[in-house]
Amino acid sequence: MLMCQDVATLASDYIDDELGPVKRLAIGAHLLMCRHCRSLIGNLRTTREIISQRSYDHLDGDYARRLDAAIGEALRHPDNGRTGPPKDPEAR
Amino acid sequence: MPTPQDRNDESDLIARLRAGDTDAYQNAVRRFTPTMLAAARFYVGVDKAEDVVQESWIKAIRAIQTFEGRASLKTWLSRIVVNQAKNVLRQSGREVPLESPEALDPALASRFGPNRRWIQPPTLTSHETAEQWLERGALGDCLDKHLAALPEQQRSALMLFEVHQHKSDDVCNILEVSASNLRVLIHRARQRMFLMVEHFQETGEC
Repeated sequence: MLMCQDVATLASDYIDDELGPVKRLAIGAHLLMCRHCRSLIGNLRTTREIISQRSYDHLDGDYARRLDAAIGEALRHPDNGRTGPPKDPEAR
Repeated sequence: MPTPQDRNDESDLIARLRAGDTDAYQNAVRRFTPTMLAAARFYVGVDKAEDVVQESWIKAIRAIQTFEGRASLKTWLSRIVVNQAKNVLRQSGREVPLESPEALDPALASRFGPNRRWIQPPTLTSHETAEQWLERGALGDCLDKHLAALPEQQRSALMLFEVHQHKSDDVCNILEVSASNLRVLIHRARQRMFLMVEHFQETGEC
């Protein structure tokens, strides 16, 4: 039987819909009976919502300008630092 | 899901990057660098992340000529960052062990008894909206502070998944972590945020 600690362990998988149907149903049934676990799940959902809404993808202006300058320099002098033919930078 | 319009915009941007258009680079820098920084911090932490991302942009200038578009531009750039970060670690003779924490934060795990029921249940109610939380002024600042203080790997996983809206598969591919490890990192990060909000509500202190 699913207990509160199990619900807490699976809480993010539940709110992100990453669980199979059996565990999902078991948590749903537990939540009907347990207000404490409803509180945990509800608050984790609210946390997720806030984090996705807040502007954490702001880029510092000085750093952006530093990148612009470095990229501009590299575009003007494409052979600087080149030691061989272009290769896939994803390669190790 | 990217729309046909998004794909057209991305194809147009890639063509302009290949042509060496500086405006296109400035646009791309502002659009993709926050995601790239989150990926870099996973491996090298906040101190070296900016240098790693700068070097990755320089590599991308040359590599864009051979970019095949199998992944999105954002994912491709983030993969370059991770490989650059791992190169930096290798050169300094360091490796970053992947965190493999327990799924439950110890502070939350200690609130359950031997029968796995709550002995110290949450004090927050479950019906408040995000807007109601943020009406308490300082709570937003407190969230920001605690998010910044999360362990780097938890923070990076949460930022890529939650803020930069990468799909789970993408985040696993970028960071080279398993799906189960990613789930634990995200869950641990959210628990820290939950515990912080609860503490703030009880004490008014961040």
